Amino acid sequence: MSSELSRGEETSPVQSSDSNDVAAGFSLRNERETITVAVAGNPNSGKSTLINAIAGTRLYVGNWPGVTVEKKSAVFEHEGRKIKLVDLPGTYSLSPYTQEEIIARDYLVREKPDVIINVVDATNIERNLYLTVQLLELGIPLVIALNIYDEAEQKGYKINTMAMEEMLGVKVVPTVATKKSGLNELLKVVTKVVDNPSRYTPKHLNYGEDIESAAVSVQGHIMKQNPSLNNKYPLRWLAFKLMEGDSHVMEEASLKIDDAFVEKATIHLKKAHGDDIESIMADERYALASGLTREVVKRPEVRKMEITEKIDRVVLNRFLGIPVFLAAMWIVFKFTFDLSQPFGDWIDGATAGPISRLAAKAITAVNGPLWVASLTTEGVIAGVGFVLAFVPVIFAMMFFITFLEGSGYMARAAFVMDRAMHSMGLHGKSFIPMLLGFGCNVPGIYATRTLENPRDKALTALLLPLMSCGARLPVYVVFIGAFFSAHAGTVLWSMYVMGIALAVLMGVIFKRTLFRGESPMFIMELPPYRMPSLKSLMIHTWEKGKHFLIKAGTYIFAVSILVWFLLNLPWGVENKKDSYLGKAGQVIAPALAPIGFGNWEAASSLVTGLIAKEIVVGSMAEIYAVQQEDEETTTVSDDLKEIGSSFLTAVRDSFRNVFATLGIASISAEEDEGASGLKTVIQKTFTPLTAYAFMAFVLLYMPCVVVAIAMKHEFGSWKWFGVAFAYQMGLAWVVAMIIYQGGRILGIG
Amino acid sequence: MSPLGLLSKGEKAEVVEIRIQKGYCQGTGKNQACHAEDMGLRTGKVIEMLNNGGGGPILLKVDESRIAISRGMAMKIMVKKTGCRD
Repeated sequence: MSSELSRGEETSPVQSSDSNDVAAGFSLRNERETITVAVAGNPNSGKSTLINAIAGTRLYVGNWPGVTVEKKSAVFEHEGRKIKLVDLPGTYSLSPYTQEEIIARDYLVREKPDVIINVVDATNIERNLYLTVQLLELGIPLVIALNIYDEAEQKGYKINTMAMEEMLGVKVVPTVATKKSGLNELLKVVTKVVDNPSRYTPKHLNYGEDIESAAVSVQGHIMKQNPSLNNKYPLRWLAFKLMEGDSHVMEEASLKIDDAFVEKATIHLKKAHGDDIESIMADERYALASGLTREVVKRPEVRKMEITEKIDRVVLNRFLGIPVFLAAMWIVFKFTFDLSQPFGDWIDGATAGPISRLAAKAITAVNGPLWVASLTTEGVIAGVGFVLAFVPVIFAMMFFITFLEGSGYMARAAFVMDRAMHSMGLHGKSFIPMLLGFGCNVPGIYATRTLENPRDKALTALLLPLMSCGARLPVYVVFIGAFFSAHAGTVLWSMYVMGIALAVLMGVIFKRTLFRGESPMFIMELPPYRMPSLKSLMIHTWEKGKHFLIKAGTYIFAVSILVWFLLNLPWGVENKKDSYLGKAGQVIAPALAPIGFGNWEAASSLVTGLIAKEIVVGSMAEIYAVQQEDEETTTVSDDLKEIGSSFLTAVRDSFRNVFATLGIASISAEEDEGASGLKTVIQKTFTPLTAYAFMAFVLLYMPCVVVAIAMKHEFGSWKWFGVAFAYQMGLAWVVAMIIYQGGRILGIG
Repeated sequence: MSPLGLLSKGEKAEVVEIRIQKGYCQGTGKNQACHAEDMGLRTGKVIEMLNNGGGGPILLKVDESRIAISRGMAMKIMVKKTGCRD
């Protein structure tokens, strides 16, 4: 892996990885001013909760440099001393095979934190100690936070923490992070350990004579060949890694070693235990963890059926699993849209009406030129307001998704949907991002980060734009209203089904072309059900939603200005047809002729739809110069009042929606007031057949700009967006062509 | 000895062999098999089948954790039945 991995920008200046020698010089740390504490532990050990509880609002959440793995850190004062907390990715091991493990390992080895807090799940000690054993090899002082201690007690476990401290040579502090208990004690112990590092050096656990003697001779060899490495890396750990043949470490340390010597040193080991030293070491570590657990934990004989198991019996049931899942999703969607839609509409309405008017008035008041007013209102405010209108829905959805994740249900959903996803060459975990895509593709793309396998991630992101998102709905609504009002529901449904069916088809094609070879295997832990705390829900909701606000917001802002210019240039253009956008439409139009709508108006509106698909309708209205309701003359206070009162309406609607049992927004509710004029024009230029082809085209043709940015952000390059763009354009054209030409042959339209 | 994937719900078994190619987990995107061992699913461990519903993934109890693995992987892990939970 690249050496940039852990060069965090937030590392303290003395410990920047370029100056390892300097860092090594600080081995005597009495009363150090800033204590650096790394927090390590298994996934689901309550590590996150513990950090949130200790750091609270001081928590800074970002990504590890260069990767999309979350990095949390916090700096705070504790008893007059500065403590810097760094959350390492949750891992089961410190092997060099997954990104998370490499990040954690690199951080510990390079940045040399003063102390490690190892969060150990008290209800599952054996597996957690496997990681502990590996952490101890690094020789960094360590404190065990024996977390979820209350549950262990409830289960009747008797844990002898004294014996544990004795055997590992580290301090053990029982904690219950969810109730904030034991955390003060933990911090007290941490500072104590930092002040007397020599008293709390972790023990060298005995790996058995064969391994130990081999390690000793390898250590001697390393010392002789690489005297400069002394102090830079823990020698014993380095010897272990060398014996295991860990090329990552050898490269990183630029070790000069004599292969033949290592071979000779391990010959006895290999003779006695077999060739695969890595496995031998892993087995020994696991045996140590097992042995320790046997010594310190007493479990009750009879095991009660846990509540998690009871819930799983229903939730994962062969027959009930999918219905339960669908019901859960229905509730999430309903709550998301019902809660957020009134607020989205409010933002939309406020920016389009009163705020635009206020801005226009302000510009007129200072004698600003007319075009500035137009750019501000039609370009900036309309464009940015448009993005802001999506904020409530994104945050609401992220909130519920975070809840499902935090409670432990999300992993079950993946389990239940696994089989269905196999037809697309994916597995259950990919289902979650797909599902989010129906609301908006953007959070779906961001959700692909839960898939650790790059192949699954890319394939999921490629298929995701075929899920018909909420932004396409306005287009359907206008066209269905104009042509298919008698069968509105069925036609709308057919759009969603077409998206899903084509996703399956494309999945099958991709599985056999771009993504050949690897069959999807997966392993994942289903955590016990737990009630996530409101605080951690808020933190994670914000973290998920903020990307949308920042990235999409900045781009949309720029793009909306651009579009305004394209529609208004060359300067003083009278007819929209002669604007740059109109001309672009004329160029593209012939390509659209075979699929039924080869006129510049349709082409131009499709071009603007690249920014966001609902813009298609707005542009059409503008292009066809449909008379929108006239600006009434209002006063400033009228405008402000309107914003306020419509907000109250939004709050009321939001509550009403949630409590209404079947409050799915009806189609007519989506319709704009100004849209009726547009419908009449459309009825003149489209036929039912071309209208349907047009709808299909809007469904399928390239993902919007925000999705493109999300893809770039998530994958670090434009490559996958390029693939999505190309195949979707092709697919859209082919499908629309089949609909149009097929329909003509059949004599429809 | 039989593949793990053939155990029925409630059955307990000891893991005898994990027939996943050595080094399978190395390189990008193929890390799941390695995880299995780090998650405690290793030779000698007694596990319990919690859910085995036809063609989908299976759910195991390994120590105190519930671990879901895909069927393909489950067929590559050989086990010896040790009994049932009453």
